[in-house]
Amino acid sequence: MKRSYGLALFSSTLALCVAASSAAFAAGPGDPPADIAKIETVVVIFAENRAFDNLYGHFPGAEGIDQASKESLQQRDRDGSVLPELPPVWDGLTAKGVTPPVTQAMTEHLPNEPFTVNDAKGFNVPLSVATHDLWHRFYQNQMQINGGRNDMFVAWADSGAMPMSNWDASKTEMWAVAQKYVLADHFFMGGFGGSFFNHQWLICACAPYYPNADRSPAKPSISVTDESGTALKIADNSPKSARDGIPKFVSDGNLTPDFYAVNTMQPPYQPSGNNPAPGGDPRMADPANPTTLPPQTEPTIGDMLSLKHITWAWYSGAWQYTLDHGNHEPIPNFQYHHQPFNYYANYAPGTEARREHLRDAGLGGVSFIQAIDDGALPQVSFYKPQGNLNEHSGYSDIQAGDRHIADVIAHLEKSPQWPHMLVVVTYDENGGIWDHVAPPKGDRWGPATRIPAIIVSPFAKRGYVDHTRYDTTSILRFITERFELPVLHGIVVRDKAVAAHGEPPLGDLTGGLDLN
Amino acid sequence: MDVDRIVALVTAAGIELTDRRRNAKDDGWSLSFANGATVELGDDGSARAAGKGARTVARLLDMPTAPRST
Repeated sequence: MKRSYGLALFSSTLALCVAASSAAFAAGPGDPPADIAKIETVVVIFAENRAFDNLYGHFPGAEGIDQASKESLQQRDRDGSVLPELPPVWDGLTAKGVTPPVTQAMTEHLPNEPFTVNDAKGFNVPLSVATHDLWHRFYQNQMQINGGRNDMFVAWADSGAMPMSNWDASKTEMWAVAQKYVLADHFFMGGFGGSFFNHQWLICACAPYYPNADRSPAKPSISVTDESGTALKIADNSPKSARDGIPKFVSDGNLTPDFYAVNTMQPPYQPSGNNPAPGGDPRMADPANPTTLPPQTEPTIGDMLSLKHITWAWYSGAWQYTLDHGNHEPIPNFQYHHQPFNYYANYAPGTEARREHLRDAGLGGVSFIQAIDDGALPQVSFYKPQGNLNEHSGYSDIQAGDRHIADVIAHLEKSPQWPHMLVVVTYDENGGIWDHVAPPKGDRWGPATRIPAIIVSPFAKRGYVDHTRYDTTSILRFITERFELPVLHGIVVRDKAVAAHGEPPLGDLTGGLDLN
Repeated sequence: MDVDRIVALVTAAGIELTDRRRNAKDDGWSLSFANGATVELGDDGSARAAGKGARTVARLLDMPTAPRST
């Protein structure tokens, strides 16, 4: 359980990364294209909580719902039997306050198959309406995937039929962007579970760690797993059937039994969901709060970029607003756990690195858009839309985020930096929603459920569906190759694990580009 | 309202449960959510929301919030 922290660990890990760099690329999917240097500006836009089939299940040329086998469309109960029908959406399909609501009673007796939320002959709920959120947690996600069969999404959900929902998104603005450029139809979440964990995978390809958790306030948050180590231990009083209610577990916490943080914990620095300690530094979150994660020290892609003097920034919508005024809902509904660098000691309050790299995107992304228009983006930018614009179930709708991201794309296309730009628009994770394609077999942490990804660039193939297998770390692969960075340890481990399972290597996004 | 009902109503609104434990007196539940709200639920059925995001959680549960100073 012991793990040392601090500069020594960073230095040694960095040295390992440097040493592993050439070997990792030699074992990878091939050398990067010679002309990869044509890409001078990389922009990553990270939306929230949509599986591929949820939005792009009927996209022409993509492996969508129409290509799914009958077996993969049917959900099984907790005992392995095929469900005769889907359970209702517990507490209703629409979010609280939506009028007219789609109540739980209205979702009774749905056939055991996917359903379209905005089907005019069905629920007819428009894309502008927020719907019921779903569990999207580390162990449940693995239980739902069920070894690649994807037939236990309903069984291990807290939302009844909701995982089988999808939308006709063919009229959305981002659908049109995908038609114009490249839709990647085999892009998978980097890690199992939710936003906290997958934001960490976007920047670190690592699992955060809570040292000595069994002697900390977080001790009750240590999960109890079954003998497989990949599933939660089911409580004696858990309903036996998905039709009878939400499952119960012995301990469904944030930490693995060996203290890795896999479900949502709060940043140790403000803005954090946790207040400062009474009388403590107002820039910090109370370290005694059981949901405050201690500062992390693993190397990130930001560290690697800084090491090579590549300019970069994490642009966060409503960051400064929240620091100055506190959070407000429903707008901007800032999400503390969507800010991955705010968990790292290297970007602690008062550091030059924080001032330089953690930037306010403004309300509605206005400052980020200004930087786009001015041609002032750094070489690598990550953009996180504020809560009401991120497409997350429960508190946000698809239409608002879709229009916002499409607007950002329109500005990027007109930017002075556009001629040498690569933009990747993807989602952090599936939001607990079913997808029919089995994820590649990898390591302990992922890859997980398939999510949408759109590659936008003057070098993107036009009107193309890229079937190359990617995961969230493929973004890091591209950045690493383009800027000749040391390879993060988690990518080396992932590549070896995928190869050990006999799976094809995960790509670096260049499958969607024509750089020649 | 029981603890499972509170968790179901809040998480359905996209606000993740981040901690659930018996309180120090072992006479109720202490819940934490991703928006910073905490809910103290007594075994006698009393409930109170506090912390960041408390107003949103209280609205979802149709319950009053604690004074802002707590």
